[in-house]
Formats: sequence, structure tokens, C-alpha cells
Amino acid sequence: MKKKLIPIISGLVFGLVVAVIIFADISPGSKTKTAASNSTTTTSNGDAEKVYVPLGKKDDYYLMASGGHSGQLFVYGVPSMRLIRTVPIFSPDSATGYGYDAASKKMLGGYTWGDFHHPALSETNGDYDGKYLFATDVANSRAAVMDLKTFTTKDIIKVPNTSGPHCAAFVTPNTEYLFLPTRFATPLGQKYASLDNYSKDYYGVMSALTFDKKNEKLNIAYQVALPPWSYDLSDAGKKSSDGWGVITTYNTEEATTTMEINASQADRDYIVLFNWKELAQEVKDGKYTNVDGQKMIFPEKENQGIYLVPVAKSPHGVDVTPDGKYFIASGKLAPAMTVFSFEKAFKAIKDKDFSGERNGIPVLNYKSVMEREVNPENALGPLHTQFDNKGFAYTTMFISSEIVKWNYKTGEVVDRVPVQYSPGHAAAAEGDTASPDGHWLVSLNKLAKDNFLSVGPSHPETMQLIDLDGPKMRVIDTVPANPEPHYAQMIKADKIHTINVYPEDKNNKDAVYKTTDTRIVRNGNTVDVYGIAMRSRFVFDSKAKRPDTIEVNQGDHVRIHLTNIDRDEDITHGFAINNYDLNMEVQPGETKTLDFVADKAGTFPLYCTNFCSALHQEMNGYFLVKPNN
Amino acid sequence: MVNLNGKKLSIISTLSLIGSSILIGVSLLFPWWELFLYAPQYPEGLDIIVYTNKLRGKLDIINTLNHYIGMSDFSEKSFPELSYLIYLIAGLAILTLIVAILRKKSFLYMLIGIFVIGGIIGVFDLYHWLHTFGTDLDPKAPLRIKPFVPPVIGKNRFANFTTYSYLGKGAYLIIVAFLLTLIPLWKDRKQ
Repeated sequence: MKKKLIPIISGLVFGLVVAVIIFADISPGSKTKTAASNSTTTTSNGDAEKVYVPLGKKDDYYLMASGGHSGQLFVYGVPSMRLIRTVPIFSPDSATGYGYDAASKKMLGGYTWGDFHHPALSETNGDYDGKYLFATDVANSRAAVMDLKTFTTKDIIKVPNTSGPHCAAFVTPNTEYLFLPTRFATPLGQKYASLDNYSKDYYGVMSALTFDKKNEKLNIAYQVALPPWSYDLSDAGKKSSDGWGVITTYNTEEATTTMEINASQADRDYIVLFNWKELAQEVKDGKYTNVDGQKMIFPEKENQGIYLVPVAKSPHGVDVTPDGKYFIASGKLAPAMTVFSFEKAFKAIKDKDFSGERNGIPVLNYKSVMEREVNPENALGPLHTQFDNKGFAYTTMFISSEIVKWNYKTGEVVDRVPVQYSPGHAAAAEGDTASPDGHWLVSLNKLAKDNFLSVGPSHPETMQLIDLDGPKMRVIDTVPANPEPHYAQMIKADKIHTINVYPEDKNNKDAVYKTTDTRIVRNGNTVDVYGIAMRSRFVFDSKAKRPDTIEVNQGDHVRIHLTNIDRDEDITHGFAINNYDLNMEVQPGETKTLDFVADKAGTFPLYCTNFCSALHQEMNGYFLVKPNN
Repeated sequence: MVNLNGKKLSIISTLSLIGSSILIGVSLLFPWWELFLYAPQYPEGLDIIVYTNKLRGKLDIINTLNHYIGMSDFSEKSFPELSYLIYLIAGLAILTLIVAILRKKSFLYMLIGIFVIGGIIGVFDLYHWLHTFGTDLDPKAPLRIKPFVPPVIGKNRFANFTTYSYLGKGAYLIIVAFLLTLIPLWKDRKQ
């Protein structure tokens, strides 16, 4: 009996050992949870309630997030963090027909993409006024303005002499100016010049734009030929520092290659501190040089109102505190935030307390302007700072992947919360204005990694909602975002007053508001169609045998003016011509024009692309192009 | 002045008739009849507001929707009454005032008669239009629904719409004005 048991037991033991070796995962990796679940973030049911906005209720804030190299604006609601709408600004958008209809096509100027970094809401007395939003395009050096009544782009301006207005737009407290400093230095007019002559021939041109509200047009007031450095973030002074602006700059080494190394050599770079009221006065006094029609200020010639403040190397953010007394620079490669005092800077300027000059621009003594350095233990890569209503600053730490809450008057670090992962900017509720609201902070994270269901190698970005109301910051929601919000601004929803239906415009010669006024007018080779869209038909000529047919000759210049006469909330009509690569949308009461040459002969169905009604599928007609000869 | 033949109306009756006349006049400032339409897509509701001389409300939207069921367009032009009704009502107010001044009972009977006949004609007219619009539908309409007649007052359903018809403030003022003309009948019943 015993003898029989031995082989049985030894067999079982052997089998068990083999099974453990083959199947059991005893590597240390098996204990690793997903990285995101390693975070110290805790959740509770209360958090879910805070972000839940049921049907019938609306969010408290709009979050206007730049869309980076999508060239679009992403409009989110806070606290629900729902994406409400994507608004095309610098890139064409087939869904809305932006870049297809005549007006928006002209505005885009032939460019097919943009790199929208920084939104800037218009301000009155240093507070968002909910009227307009400005945008800058790093890719093609453009600036745009969007009307917040309709959330549509009204004007785009191409800014010459400058290449990559990254750090802008930033507006002055009463939207007097929109400043566009530039990331890349180039020769004026972007003419050819050898990189060997970089320091001599290249400039980092900053532009001062003004906005003509009446005509909804952007204009360039003047430009400043700053040294050939890279200008990064910027902010406008407010209250006691109104009239001043601050810009961080790096590559003061004037490196022309392998910037990663060569632009990171000097221990100190600078903050450009400038007085835009003085600059405006200089321009008024004629102290500028005309460069291809632009009023260009050369600081080495007109040495007024521009100063340099030494700062820890390669800074990113510079943010003016809500009281307007300080500006905070973030070290990017240094572990610290530096608080500078405007008051001390003004005194140093008055006393000519300079340590030297660069390119004719006086350099202030660091010690004379610096208020304090704040260095949270082991925090790395401070990028950008926002504020609440209780005197706290919130700084994103890109490298140590966290938000640090600190008191900018005492330098005391109050709280820290990890975010997933690597925050670039953050946006607090009205957090860059003269009167922040507190309550919420959205961390705009650059990496999503394992936060969401995988869609393969391309990952979304991540936005995280942080509750600021308690004594400790709490990450309470994590949502994906399309590439790539760089900066966002959060504005109280009740400041924005939109319209649902475009009012009748009696002066618009392209508009027709009655079916009986529709007509097709031929003038030589030009055919103007004055048509309407309504549920569920197009009428181009009410007297025609087939009112929804347009017939032209090959080679005709065709202008289809279409008015949506369904003046009813959310009744949008689309208008597409099959196989003619044309599409647009007309909102209730709106008139838009498709302007093209009918170069292809044939029969092309036209149809409504935006589902409008039960008979949407029947909302179509024909575009007939008679062949030549 | 002594009322010898006993046929003059009392002071209270006269005041009551003056009040009636004023209310009739004031009623012209208010809507007489209102129709509200609700649908899943129109939770905020669409409305037709009828004054004695004009139509208000979201008529354009209602007309756009109505063409799907082949209903004719609502507009001020489709109702000839709107061009003269205001004068008839103003005339009634003046007539009531005259009766109040003349204080003759026979005239009062006449006035009440006009009120009653006018009221019946009015309600019938409204019903006639509701019937016409609800039943005289274009046979070529994309959506063929059973003809229907919304009630003068009350709730109705057709297609995805629920409608509520109400009398407007103007109509209530007229009802009160009518009641005021009845006060003299009771007040001066022994004379």
C-alpha cells in the first residue's frame, strides 16, 4: 500500500511543480497594475454627482480649448467635460463647409491647415467679456477672431515678417491690443539669409494687432523687431501693471542647430518686459521704420519701453497674478517657479538699475526684480500657472506630472496632485483674468497612455477636471481630447449670449427670404443663383418648370447664393453638389455662396447634407452642365 | 330726473353698461384666441395668437411644418375677418355706451341680442376656419393624415403634435362685458 502511494504522490508533486513553472506568472511584472490605476487619485460617488449634468441642465462654464495642429477650436462644457462643438478656425471643415463657401475660402487664404496654440478671450477691465475669441496659427503665421454670438470665424489676418506666433495671442485688459510674439526667428519678410548671419540678419518679430469691432476686422498696428530668440509664453499686466506685457524667451544663445542642446546652454534666459503704451506712443511719434508697409520698431534704434529680466534658463510660462502685482515665470528645465515684482521692476527701470544690455535692450538686475523663488521638493518641469479667487497659484509640472497648489504671496506650497500624464497648460475658471472664480481647474495633459480604450498607436490627449473647492485638490474626471489642446480658457457660461437664428439682412444682396424672390440670373458667362433652402426642398427659381434644378454651360462661372429660410432653431441645411467636391452648411436665416467654375460637363445631383427633416432624403435636385460644342 | 314711465335703467345699470363698453374696448388690445402646439421636437411649444386684427406667434415655423400635411398657409391674408372685426367690436363698444347713456330697456334687449348673435357667429366662424384648415388638406401632401378639427377650446392630437386651444384674455373680457350687460336685466327687473 505504502509502496503504491510513493509513485502516486511523487507523480502529483512533479505534475504540480511543472504546472507552476509553466502556467503561473511569478515574474515581478505581474504585480504591476496599469500605470493610471497606480495614481493616488481616489474617487467617490460625490465626484460623479459633481460632473453629472442631466438633460435639461447646462454646464456652468465653457472651456475653449485650442485644437493645436487640427487648426480648430474645441468647445467643452465644465463640469460635465462634454465636447459640445468643434469650430473650424484655421483648417477647412467639410462638415460645416468652412473653407468651401466663398467667404470662408477667401478667409483661409488657400491654407489647408493651421496650428492653433493659444485662444484669447476678449476682455473688458481685465475680465472676459464673452464677446470674441482670438486665435493664433503657429503654422502659417495667422491670427483669427471668432464671434461668440455665432461661434464662427469672422476674420483671419496673415501677419508678415513673423514666423510662428506661438505664445500669443494675449490681449491687453481692454482688448486694446492682441500681441503676437514669435517662436521662430527669421529674416524680415522671410527672405533668404544664411544661418551663419543669424545674429545679424534674423529677428524675432512681435506684432501688435488691433481689432475693429464694427467691421469685425483685424489690423496690424505695429511690429517690434526683437532679437533673434524664441519667444514662448506671454501675458498682459493688469490693474497696477496695466500697460505692460511680459514674454518668456529662450535660445538667447542664438543657436541655429540642434536647439535641444545648443539653446539650453546659458544658465539664464530672459523675460521681455515691455510697455505697450510707450511703444504705441513711439509709433505715433513716427519713431519706426517702414518694412514692407509695416511700422517696425527696432529696439536698438528706438530704445524705449523694452527691458529684459534674467530668468532661470529656458522658461516656458509667464503669468501675471490676478492683482497685477507679480509675474511668475516657470523654469521648464529648472525645478522652480520665480515670482517677480512689477513694482520692483518699475523701480529698477526708474533707477536705471541695469546689469548690462543685449541688442540695445537694457537688462535689469535679477536680484532687484525677483521677489522669491519657489521650489517644491522633487517637482520638475513647471510650465504654466493659473489662479483661483483665494490667492493660490496652480502650476503644471510637466516632468513630475502633477499640479502644485501654492501661495504666490508667501511661496508656501499647499497641495500637490498627480495627473495622468505630463500636463502642459492648465485652465482654471477665469483663471488668467483679474478676477478668477476658483471651483475648477482643467489639466491639459500631453499623454494619455492607458487612460482610455485603446485605438492603437495614436492616442488621444487627456483632460482632467480638478475640483478646487475642498482643502485638497481632487481629480474627479478624466476625458479624452482630439489632438491637441495647448491652452484653454474657461469662461462663465452666462457671459456668452449666442443667437439661434440669423436675423434678416436687408442689405445682403445675395439673400432671398421668400420663395417667390428666387431666381437664376445669367450675365455673360456668369450665372448667379439666388436660391433658398427650406424643409424639405431647394428652390432656385420658383417660376421654373423644375424649381430645384440649376442648368449652366460648361465653363460658366457659377455663384450659388443660398439662404436657409427655415428660421427655426437647429434647422440646418446642407448643400452639396455630387462629384463636384462642393459642400456647405447654411444655418437658420443664413446666406452663403458657393463660387466656382463649372468646368466639368455632365449631370450632377445636388442634395441637402445636413439631416433636416423626415423628408431630408428627398431634399435634392440636379445641377446640369451642358457640354461645350 | 324722475323716471315717470319706469322704463329708464337705474344708475347702477348704466355704470355697469359703461363698464361693459370699456371692457369691450380694452379687449381689442388682447388676444382673443390662442392655439399652442407641442411636439417632441418642440418642447418649448409653437403658438398661434389671434387678435381681432392680427396674428402673432411662430407662424412661419408652423406653416413650414403644415406643408407636410398639406394644410394651407396661415397668414393675416387668409382671414378676411381680421381686416374688419376690430371695427365691428369697436362699434359694439360704442353701441353699448350709447345704450348706457340712453338708459332705455328696449335698447338693452337689442344690445344683448346683438351680443348673443355675434357670439354665436364668432364661435361658428372660428369653428368654420378650424374645420377648413383641418379638413381641406392638399391631397398631394407627402404626409397623409386623417382630417381633423381642433376644438375651439381644449386638447387635440394629430401626427406628432398635441394642441391646446384657449380663449385669450380678450375673449374673457368680452364674456365679462356680456355679463355686465345682464346686470341691468336683473337689477331693473321690477320696473
